[in-house]
Amino acid sequence: MEEKSNPVYKNQAYGQYRELFYSYGTDGKFEKNVGFHDESDRVTLQQAWDLFNDRIEEARQKVKTGQASPILYYMEKTLVTPMDLSMHSGIMVWRVKRHLKPKVFSRLGEKTLKKYAEAFNITLDQLKNVD
Amino acid sequence: MEKDNIMIDYKHRQAGHCESGATSNLFNFYGVEMSEPMAFGIGNGLYFSYLPFLKLQYAPMMSFRNLPNTVFHRSMKYLDVDATVIKNFKEPKESMAALDRNLEKGIPTGMQVGVFNLTFFPPEYRMHYNMHNLVAFGREGNDYWVSDTVMELPQRITSEDLQRVRWAKGAFAPKGKMYWINTVHKDLDIKSAVEKGIKKTVYEMIKVPFPLIGVKGIHWLAKDLKKWPKKHGNETASFYLGQIIRMSEDFGTGGAGFRYIYGAFLKETGERYNNADLLAASNLMGNAANRWREFTYMGARNCKNRSKPEEDYGKLSDMLHEIADMEKEVYMKLDKIKI
Repeated sequence: MEEKSNPVYKNQAYGQYRELFYSYGTDGKFEKNVGFHDESDRVTLQQAWDLFNDRIEEARQKVKTGQASPILYYMEKTLVTPMDLSMHSGIMVWRVKRHLKPKVFSRLGEKTLKKYAEAFNITLDQLKNVD
Repeated sequence: MEKDNIMIDYKHRQAGHCESGATSNLFNFYGVEMSEPMAFGIGNGLYFSYLPFLKLQYAPMMSFRNLPNTVFHRSMKYLDVDATVIKNFKEPKESMAALDRNLEKGIPTGMQVGVFNLTFFPPEYRMHYNMHNLVAFGREGNDYWVSDTVMELPQRITSEDLQRVRWAKGAFAPKGKMYWINTVHKDLDIKSAVEKGIKKTVYEMIKVPFPLIGVKGIHWLAKDLKKWPKKHGNETASFYLGQIIRMSEDFGTGGAGFRYIYGAFLKETGERYNNADLLAASNLMGNAANRWREFTYMGARNCKNRSKPEEDYGKLSDMLHEIADMEKEVYMKLDKIKI
Protein backbone atom coordinates (compact mmCIF):
# COMPACT_ATOMS: atom_id res chain seq x y z
CA MET A 1 0.00 0.00 0.00
CA GLU A 2 1.39 3.36 -0.90
CA GLU A 3 2.10 5.87 1.80
CA LYS A 4 -0.52 8.60 1.90
CA SER A 5 -0.43 11.83 3.81
CA ASN A 6 -3.44 12.40 5.93
CA PRO A 7 -4.41 16.06 5.95
CA VAL A 8 -7.97 15.64 7.20
CA TYR A 9 -7.57 13.39 10.19
CA LYS A 10 -5.76 14.79 13.18
CA ASN A 11 -4.92 11.30 14.38
CA GLN A 12 -2.25 9.68 12.23
CA ALA A 13 -3.65 6.19 12.77
CA TYR A 14 -6.87 7.10 11.00
CA GLY A 15 -7.66 6.66 7.36
CA GLN A 16 -5.08 3.96 6.62
CA TYR A 17 -7.49 1.38 5.29
CA ARG A 18 -8.78 0.98 1.79
CA GLU A 19 -12.41 0.11 1.21
CA LEU A 20 -14.46 -0.97 -1.73
CA PHE A 21 -16.69 1.63 -3.35
CA TYR A 22 -19.13 1.50 -6.19
CA SER A 23 -19.61 4.28 -8.67
CA TYR A 24 -21.92 5.01 -11.57
CA GLY A 25 -20.54 6.58 -14.72
CA THR A 26 -22.19 8.39 -17.60
CA ASP A 27 -21.76 5.28 -19.75
CA GLY A 28 -24.27 3.47 -17.54
CA LYS A 29 -21.81 1.13 -15.87
CA PHE A 30 -21.51 0.39 -12.19
CA GLU A 31 -17.89 0.00 -11.25
CA LYS A 32 -16.09 -1.25 -8.20
CA ASN A 33 -13.03 0.59 -6.97
CA VAL A 34 -10.86 -0.08 -3.98
CA GLY A 35 -9.59 3.12 -2.44
CA PHE A 36 -9.53 5.58 0.40
CA HIS A 37 -12.44 7.71 1.46
CA ASP A 38 -12.96 11.04 -0.22
CA GLU A 39 -12.11 14.13 1.70
CA SER A 40 -15.78 14.97 2.18
CA ASP A 41 -16.42 11.69 3.98
CA ARG A 42 -13.36 12.11 6.13
CA VAL A 43 -14.44 15.57 7.20
CA THR A 44 -17.62 14.22 8.76
CA LEU A 45 -15.82 11.42 10.57
CA GLN A 46 -13.25 13.85 11.94
CA GLN A 47 -16.11 16.09 13.02
CA ALA A 48 -17.59 13.27 15.06
CA TRP A 49 -14.25 12.46 16.68
CA ASP A 50 -13.68 16.15 17.46
CA LEU A 51 -16.91 16.21 19.40
CA PHE A 52 -16.09 12.97 21.23
CA ASN A 53 -12.59 14.17 22.11
CA ASP A 54 -13.93 17.49 23.37
CA ARG A 55 -16.38 15.67 25.59
CA ILE A 56 -13.66 13.34 26.90
CA GLU A 57 -11.38 16.30 27.71
CA GLU A 58 -14.22 18.14 29.44
CA ALA A 59 -15.00 15.06 31.51
CA ARG A 60 -11.34 14.69 32.47
CA GLN A 61 -11.25 18.27 33.73
CA LYS A 62 -14.45 17.73 35.69
CA VAL A 63 -13.03 14.64 37.37
CA LYS A 64 -9.78 16.44 38.24
CA THR A 65 -11.60 19.36 39.81
CA GLY A 66 -13.85 17.05 41.75
CA GLN A 67 -17.09 17.86 40.01
CA ALA A 68 -17.68 14.36 38.71
CA SER A 69 -16.66 10.79 39.41
CA PRO A 70 -14.24 8.82 37.17
CA ILE A 71 -17.24 6.97 35.80
CA LEU A 72 -18.14 10.06 33.75
CA TYR A 73 -14.68 10.12 32.20
CA TYR A 74 -14.70 6.45 31.26
CA MET A 75 -18.26 6.78 30.04
CA GLU A 76 -17.26 9.52 27.61
CA LYS A 77 -14.10 7.67 26.68
CA THR A 78 -16.01 4.56 25.65
CA LEU A 79 -18.69 6.70 23.94
CA VAL A 80 -21.63 5.45 25.95
CA THR A 81 -24.65 7.10 27.55
CA PRO A 82 -25.87 6.20 31.07
CA MET A 83 -28.53 4.09 29.39
CA ASP A 84 -25.92 2.07 27.47
CA LEU A 85 -23.69 1.79 30.51
CA SER A 86 -26.62 0.44 32.44
CA MET A 87 -27.06 -2.27 29.82
CA HIS A 88 -23.32 -3.01 29.75
CA SER A 89 -22.89 -3.28 33.50
CA GLY A 90 -26.30 -4.46 34.64
CA ILE A 91 -26.71 -1.55 37.06
CA MET A 92 -29.94 0.43 36.90
CA VAL A 93 -29.89 3.76 35.07
CA TRP A 94 -30.85 5.91 38.04
CA ARG A 95 -28.03 4.32 40.03
CA VAL A 96 -25.53 4.93 37.22
CA LYS A 97 -26.55 8.59 37.12
CA ARG A 98 -26.19 8.82 40.90
CA HIS A 99 -22.74 7.26 40.77
CA LEU A 100 -21.55 10.15 38.60
CA LYS A 101 -21.33 12.24 41.78
CA PRO A 102 -17.89 11.95 43.38
CA LYS A 103 -19.31 11.72 46.88
CA VAL A 104 -21.49 8.76 46.03
CA PHE A 105 -18.71 7.15 44.02
CA SER A 106 -16.28 7.23 46.95
CA ARG A 107 -18.71 5.18 49.02
CA LEU A 108 -19.23 2.46 46.40
CA GLY A 109 -18.44 -1.12 47.35
CA GLU A 110 -15.98 -3.46 45.67
CA LYS A 111 -18.76 -5.43 43.99
CA THR A 112 -20.27 -2.47 42.16
CA LEU A 113 -16.87 -1.10 41.18
CA LYS A 114 -15.96 -4.47 39.71
CA LYS A 115 -19.10 -4.40 37.56
CA TYR A 116 -18.10 -1.01 36.20
CA ALA A 117 -14.49 -2.06 35.61
CA GLU A 118 -15.71 -5.08 33.68
CA ALA A 119 -18.07 -2.96 31.58
CA PHE A 120 -15.23 -0.56 30.69
CA ASN A 121 -12.75 -3.43 30.27
CA ILE A 122 -10.21 -1.88 32.69
CA THR A 123 -8.72 -2.74 36.09
CA LEU A 124 -10.03 -1.45 39.40
CA ASP A 125 -6.97 0.78 39.86
CA GLN A 126 -7.57 2.43 36.52
CA LEU A 127 -11.19 3.00 37.42
CA LYS A 128 -10.29 4.79 40.65
CA ASN A 129 -7.49 6.92 39.17
CA VAL A 130 -7.98 8.91 36.01
CA ASP A 131 -4.69 9.55 34.23
CA MET B 1 -7.28 -29.49 25.91
CA GLU B 2 -5.23 -28.76 22.84
CA LYS B 3 -7.34 -27.85 19.86
CA ASP B 4 -6.41 -28.79 16.32
CA ASN B 5 -5.65 -26.17 13.74
CA ILE B 6 -8.35 -25.86 11.11
CA MET B 7 -8.30 -23.98 7.85
CA ILE B 8 -11.32 -24.04 5.56
CA ASP B 9 -10.69 -23.21 1.94
CA TYR B 10 -12.85 -20.10 2.00
CA LYS B 11 -12.32 -17.30 -0.47
CA HIS B 12 -12.28 -13.83 1.01
CA ARG B 13 -13.51 -11.10 -1.31
CA GLN B 14 -13.76 -7.50 -0.26
CA ALA B 15 -17.23 -6.02 -0.51
CA GLY B 16 -19.01 -2.75 0.06
CA HIS B 17 -21.50 -3.97 2.62
CA CYS B 18 -20.57 -6.37 5.38
CA GLU B 19 -23.59 -8.65 5.45
CA SER B 20 -24.33 -8.99 1.74
CA GLY B 21 -20.60 -9.48 1.20
CA ALA B 22 -20.60 -12.29 3.76
CA THR B 23 -23.74 -13.82 2.22
CA SER B 24 -22.36 -13.74 -1.31
CA ASN B 25 -19.03 -15.20 -0.13
CA LEU B 26 -20.87 -18.01 1.64
CA PHE B 27 -22.84 -18.76 -1.53
CA ASN B 28 -19.63 -18.86 -3.51
CA PHE B 29 -18.14 -21.30 -1.02
CA TYR B 30 -21.01 -23.67 -1.79
CA GLY B 31 -20.46 -23.35 -5.52
CA VAL B 32 -23.15 -20.82 -6.42
CA GLU B 33 -21.82 -17.84 -8.35
CA MET B 34 -23.39 -14.82 -6.68
CA SER B 35 -22.15 -11.27 -6.70
CA GLU B 36 -22.53 -8.92 -3.78
CA PRO B 37 -25.21 -6.68 -5.37
CA MET B 38 -27.23 -9.81 -6.19
CA ALA B 39 -27.22 -10.96 -2.57
CA PHE B 40 -28.00 -7.42 -1.46
CA GLY B 41 -30.96 -7.07 -3.84
CA ILE B 42 -32.51 -10.47 -3.16
CA GLY B 43 -32.09 -10.02 0.58
CA ASN B 44 -33.74 -6.55 0.68
CA GLY B 45 -30.73 -4.70 1.99
CA LEU B 46 -32.06 -1.36 0.79
CA TYR B 47 -34.03 0.63 3.29
CA PHE B 48 -34.46 4.02 4.76
CA SER B 49 -35.63 4.99 8.20
CA TYR B 50 -35.29 8.19 10.15
CA LEU B 51 -35.81 8.00 13.89
CA PRO B 52 -35.30 11.47 15.37
CA PHE B 53 -36.45 10.41 18.83
CA LEU B 54 -33.56 7.97 19.13
CA LYS B 55 -30.02 9.25 19.41
CA LEU B 56 -26.98 7.45 18.04
CA GLN B 57 -23.68 8.99 19.11
CA TYR B 58 -25.43 12.25 20.10
CA ALA B 59 -27.26 12.75 16.78
CA PRO B 60 -30.64 11.59 15.45
CA MET B 61 -30.63 8.03 14.27
CA MET B 62 -31.18 7.14 10.67
CA SER B 63 -30.50 4.02 8.73
CA PHE B 64 -29.96 3.33 5.06
CA ARG B 65 -30.03 -0.41 5.48
CA ASN B 66 -32.34 -3.03 6.83
CA LEU B 67 -32.16 -4.58 10.28
CA PRO B 68 -29.19 -6.86 10.92
CA ASN B 69 -29.42 -10.36 9.48
CA THR B 70 -32.24 -9.43 7.08
CA VAL B 71 -30.05 -9.89 4.01
CA PHE B 72 -28.95 -13.38 4.98
CA HIS B 73 -32.31 -14.49 6.29
CA ARG B 74 -34.40 -13.23 3.37
CA SER B 75 -32.06 -14.37 0.63
CA MET B 76 -32.11 -17.87 2.16
CA LYS B 77 -35.89 -17.77 2.39
CA TYR B 78 -36.48 -16.53 -1.16
CA LEU B 79 -33.95 -18.91 -2.68
CA ASP B 80 -35.23 -21.77 -0.54
CA VAL B 81 -31.83 -22.74 0.81
CA ASP B 82 -31.36 -24.89 3.89
CA ALA B 83 -29.66 -22.57 6.36
CA THR B 84 -29.50 -22.26 10.12
CA VAL B 85 -29.67 -19.09 12.18
CA ILE B 86 -29.12 -19.25 15.92
CA LYS B 87 -30.51 -15.98 17.21
CA ASN B 88 -29.00 -16.01 20.65
CA PHE B 89 -27.12 -18.13 23.10
CA LYS B 90 -27.46 -18.19 26.85
CA GLU B 91 -23.77 -18.35 27.62
CA PRO B 92 -20.74 -16.85 25.85
CA LYS B 93 -18.84 -20.14 26.30
CA GLU B 94 -21.65 -22.07 24.65
CA SER B 95 -21.55 -19.78 21.60
CA MET B 96 -17.79 -20.28 21.20
CA ALA B 97 -18.17 -24.04 21.54
CA ALA B 98 -20.84 -24.00 18.83
CA LEU B 99 -18.47 -22.07 16.58
CA ASP B 100 -15.73 -24.64 17.22
CA ARG B 101 -18.08 -27.51 16.39
CA ASN B 102 -19.00 -25.83 13.11
CA LEU B 103 -15.40 -25.21 12.13
CA GLU B 104 -14.53 -28.83 12.88
CA LYS B 105 -17.29 -29.88 10.51
CA GLY B 106 -15.81 -27.59 7.88
CA ILE B 107 -18.64 -25.04 7.85
CA PRO B 108 -17.66 -21.37 7.50
CA THR B 109 -19.87 -19.55 9.98
CA GLY B 110 -21.18 -16.02 9.89
CA MET B 111 -21.55 -14.00 13.06
CA GLN B 112 -23.02 -10.68 14.12
CA VAL B 113 -20.56 -8.60 16.11
CA GLY B 114 -20.13 -5.15 17.61
CA VAL B 115 -17.29 -3.06 16.22
CA PHE B 116 -16.21 -1.07 19.27
CA ASN B 117 -13.76 -3.70 20.53
CA LEU B 118 -12.92 -5.25 17.18
CA THR B 119 -9.12 -5.19 17.30
CA PHE B 120 -8.30 -5.13 13.60
CA PHE B 121 -10.99 -2.63 12.62
CA PRO B 122 -10.03 0.87 11.40
CA PRO B 123 -9.81 3.00 14.55
CA GLU B 124 -11.88 5.82 13.08
CA TYR B 125 -14.89 3.50 12.84
CA ARG B 126 -14.76 2.12 16.34
CA MET B 127 -18.05 3.39 17.64
CA HIS B 128 -20.85 1.43 19.24
CA TYR B 129 -22.28 -0.17 16.18
CA ASN B 130 -23.53 -3.69 16.77
CA MET B 131 -24.70 -4.62 13.31
CA HIS B 132 -21.44 -5.72 11.78
CA ASN B 133 -20.96 -9.17 10.26
CA LEU B 134 -17.99 -11.40 9.73
CA VAL B 135 -17.34 -15.00 8.80
CA ALA B 136 -15.02 -17.32 10.71
CA PHE B 137 -13.28 -19.89 8.57
CA GLY B 138 -10.26 -21.13 10.48
CA ARG B 139 -8.59 -21.63 13.82
CA GLU B 140 -4.93 -21.55 14.67
CA GLY B 141 -4.01 -22.13 18.31
CA ASN B 142 -5.97 -19.58 20.30
CA ASP B 143 -6.63 -17.38 17.27
CA TYR B 144 -9.43 -17.44 14.76
CA TRP B 145 -9.21 -16.51 11.10
CA VAL B 146 -12.10 -14.29 10.12
CA SER B 147 -13.16 -12.77 6.84
CA ASP B 148 -14.41 -9.24 7.34
CA THR B 149 -15.59 -7.93 3.99
CA VAL B 150 -14.83 -4.31 4.90
CA MET B 151 -11.12 -5.21 5.09
CA GLU B 152 -8.92 -6.06 2.14
CA LEU B 153 -7.45 -9.24 3.65
CA PRO B 154 -8.61 -11.95 6.08
CA GLN B 155 -7.79 -11.10 9.67
CA ARG B 156 -6.72 -12.91 12.83
CA ILE B 157 -8.47 -12.36 16.11
CA THR B 158 -7.88 -13.98 19.49
CA SER B 159 -10.56 -16.13 21.05
CA GLU B 160 -11.11 -13.69 23.95
CA ASP B 161 -11.50 -10.71 21.64
CA LEU B 162 -13.88 -12.60 19.39
CA GLN B 163 -16.00 -13.57 22.36
CA ARG B 164 -16.09 -9.97 23.56
CA VAL B 165 -17.28 -8.58 20.22
CA ARG B 166 -19.83 -11.38 19.82
CA TRP B 167 -21.25 -10.43 23.21
CA ALA B 168 -21.08 -6.66 22.73
CA LYS B 169 -23.89 -5.03 24.66
CA GLY B 170 -26.19 -2.12 23.98
CA ALA B 171 -28.71 -1.49 21.20
CA PHE B 172 -29.11 -4.44 18.78
CA ALA B 173 -26.86 -6.59 20.96
CA PRO B 174 -25.69 -9.60 18.91
CA LYS B 175 -25.87 -12.07 21.82
CA GLY B 176 -23.59 -14.45 19.98
CA LYS B 177 -25.82 -14.67 16.94
CA MET B 178 -24.43 -16.95 14.25
CA TYR B 179 -25.60 -18.31 10.93
CA TRP B 180 -24.48 -20.73 8.29
CA ILE B 181 -25.63 -22.59 5.17
CA ASN B 182 -26.23 -26.33 5.48
CA THR B 183 -26.76 -27.43 1.90
CA VAL B 184 -27.51 -25.70 -1.38
CA HIS B 185 -29.46 -27.65 -3.99
CA LYS B 186 -28.31 -27.26 -7.55
CA ASP B 187 -31.24 -25.66 -9.38
CA LEU B 188 -31.81 -22.43 -7.47
CA ASP B 189 -34.78 -20.43 -8.70
CA ILE B 190 -33.04 -17.09 -8.84
CA LYS B 191 -35.68 -15.48 -11.05
CA SER B 192 -38.55 -15.82 -8.59
CA ALA B 193 -36.24 -14.83 -5.72
CA VAL B 194 -35.35 -11.62 -7.56
CA GLU B 195 -39.05 -10.94 -8.12
CA LYS B 196 -39.87 -11.47 -4.45
CA GLY B 197 -36.90 -9.39 -3.36
CA ILE B 198 -37.84 -6.42 -5.55
CA LYS B 199 -41.47 -6.61 -4.46
CA LYS B 200 -40.53 -6.53 -0.80
CA THR B 201 -38.12 -3.64 -1.28
CA VAL B 202 -40.75 -1.63 -3.14
CA TYR B 203 -43.19 -2.31 -0.31
CA GLU B 204 -40.70 -1.17 2.31
CA MET B 205 -39.70 1.97 0.44
CA ILE B 206 -43.06 3.39 -0.65
CA LYS B 207 -45.95 1.41 0.79
CA VAL B 208 -45.31 1.21 4.52
CA PRO B 209 -48.05 3.29 6.15
CA PHE B 210 -45.70 5.12 8.51
CA PRO B 211 -44.17 8.52 7.70
CA LEU B 212 -40.62 7.86 8.91
CA ILE B 213 -39.84 4.86 6.74
CA GLY B 214 -38.86 4.73 3.08
CA VAL B 215 -39.26 7.66 0.69
CA LYS B 216 -41.58 9.42 3.13
CA GLY B 217 -38.79 9.23 5.70
CA ILE B 218 -36.40 11.03 3.34
CA HIS B 219 -38.98 13.81 2.88
CA TRP B 220 -39.41 14.06 6.65
CA LEU B 221 -35.65 14.26 7.10
CA ALA B 222 -35.47 17.02 4.46
CA LYS B 223 -38.13 19.00 6.32
CA ASP B 224 -36.26 18.63 9.61
CA LEU B 225 -32.92 19.50 8.03
CA LYS B 226 -34.27 22.92 7.13
CA LYS B 227 -35.22 23.62 10.74
CA TRP B 228 -31.99 22.46 12.41
CA PRO B 229 -29.93 25.68 12.23
CA LYS B 230 -32.70 27.73 13.83
CA LYS B 231 -33.66 25.10 16.35
CA HIS B 232 -30.23 23.89 17.49
CA GLY B 233 -27.72 26.48 16.24
CA ASN B 234 -25.13 26.09 13.51
CA GLU B 235 -22.70 23.82 15.38
CA THR B 236 -25.27 21.17 16.19
CA ALA B 237 -26.97 21.48 12.83
CA SER B 238 -23.69 20.73 11.09
CA PHE B 239 -23.09 17.78 13.41
CA TYR B 240 -26.53 16.38 12.61
CA LEU B 241 -25.90 16.95 8.91
CA GLY B 242 -22.62 15.12 9.39
CA GLN B 243 -24.60 12.21 10.80
CA ILE B 244 -26.56 11.89 7.55
CA ILE B 245 -23.32 11.83 5.60
CA ARG B 246 -21.62 9.43 8.00
CA MET B 247 -24.48 6.98 7.83
CA SER B 248 -24.71 7.16 4.05
CA GLU B 249 -21.02 7.13 3.14
CA ASP B 250 -19.00 5.60 5.95
CA PHE B 251 -19.42 2.31 7.79
CA GLY B 252 -19.13 0.20 4.66
CA THR B 253 -22.01 1.26 2.46
CA GLY B 254 -20.26 1.04 -0.89
CA GLY B 255 -21.06 4.74 -1.31
CA ALA B 256 -24.28 6.77 -1.41
CA GLY B 257 -26.11 4.81 1.25
CA PHE B 258 -26.18 1.47 -0.64
CA ARG B 259 -27.90 3.08 -3.65
CA TYR B 260 -25.00 2.18 -5.93
CA ILE B 261 -25.13 -1.46 -4.87
CA TYR B 262 -28.86 -1.61 -5.51
CA GLY B 263 -28.42 0.00 -8.90
CA ALA B 264 -25.77 -2.58 -9.75
CA PHE B 265 -28.23 -5.30 -8.71
CA LEU B 266 -30.93 -3.93 -11.04
CA LYS B 267 -28.40 -3.71 -13.84
CA GLU B 268 -27.21 -7.28 -13.33
CA THR B 269 -30.72 -8.74 -13.28
CA GLY B 270 -31.71 -6.57 -16.25
CA GLU B 271 -28.84 -7.96 -18.28
CA ARG B 272 -29.46 -11.51 -17.14
CA TYR B 273 -33.15 -11.54 -18.10
CA ASN B 274 -32.93 -9.05 -20.98
CA ASN B 275 -35.38 -6.71 -19.38
CA ALA B 276 -35.38 -3.13 -20.65
CA ASP B 277 -37.50 -1.86 -17.72
CA LEU B 278 -35.00 -3.10 -15.18
CA LEU B 279 -32.15 -1.48 -17.10
CA ALA B 280 -34.04 1.81 -17.18
CA ALA B 281 -34.68 1.54 -13.44
CA SER B 282 -30.99 0.86 -12.83
CA ASN B 283 -30.12 4.01 -14.78
CA LEU B 284 -32.51 6.06 -12.64
CA MET B 285 -31.08 4.50 -9.49
CA GLY B 286 -27.55 5.30 -10.61
CA ASN B 287 -28.53 8.91 -11.16
CA ALA B 288 -30.18 9.11 -7.75
CA ALA B 289 -27.02 7.65 -6.20
CA ASN B 290 -24.89 10.24 -7.96
CA ARG B 291 -27.20 12.91 -6.58
CA TRP B 292 -26.65 11.50 -3.07
CA ARG B 293 -22.93 11.89 -3.62
CA GLU B 294 -23.38 15.51 -4.69
CA PHE B 295 -25.39 16.05 -1.53
CA THR B 296 -22.45 14.64 0.43
CA TYR B 297 -19.97 16.99 -1.21
CA MET B 298 -22.12 20.01 -0.53
CA GLY B 299 -23.01 18.95 2.99
CA ALA B 300 -19.41 18.23 3.94
CA ARG B 301 -18.54 21.85 3.25
CA ASN B 302 -20.89 22.85 6.04
CA CYS B 303 -19.29 20.27 8.30
CA LYS B 304 -15.82 21.61 7.65
CA ASN B 305 -16.66 25.17 8.54
CA ARG B 306 -19.05 24.53 11.35
CA SER B 307 -20.03 27.90 12.74
CA LYS B 308 -20.45 29.62 9.36
CA PRO B 309 -22.38 27.41 6.95
CA GLU B 310 -21.21 27.85 3.37
CA GLU B 311 -24.23 26.17 1.87
CA ASP B 312 -27.76 27.17 2.66
CA TYR B 313 -29.63 24.52 4.62
CA GLY B 314 -32.76 25.30 2.65
CA LYS B 315 -30.91 24.41 -0.54
CA LEU B 316 -29.67 21.13 0.93
CA SER B 317 -33.18 20.35 2.07
CA ASP B 318 -34.54 20.95 -1.44
CA MET B 319 -31.86 18.63 -2.73
CA LEU B 320 -33.00 15.85 -0.38
CA HIS B 321 -36.62 16.35 -1.51
CA GLU B 322 -35.42 16.01 -5.07
CA ILE B 323 -33.49 12.81 -4.26
CA ALA B 324 -36.58 11.37 -2.58
CA ASP B 325 -38.64 12.08 -5.70
CA MET B 326 -35.97 10.51 -7.89
CA GLU B 327 -35.98 7.38 -5.78
CA LYS B 328 -39.75 7.24 -5.72
CA GLU B 329 -39.77 7.17 -9.50
CA VAL B 330 -37.53 4.10 -9.42
CA TYR B 331 -39.79 2.24 -7.00
CA MET B 332 -42.94 3.18 -8.94
CA LYS B 333 -41.30 1.72 -12.01
CA LEU B 334 -40.22 -1.41 -10.17
CA ASP B 335 -43.72 -1.84 -8.74
CA LYS B 336 -45.17 -2.52 -12.18
CA ILE B 337 -42.31 -4.62 -13.44
CA LYS B 338 -42.65 -8.18 -14.69
CA ILE B 339 -39.55 -10.25 -15.16
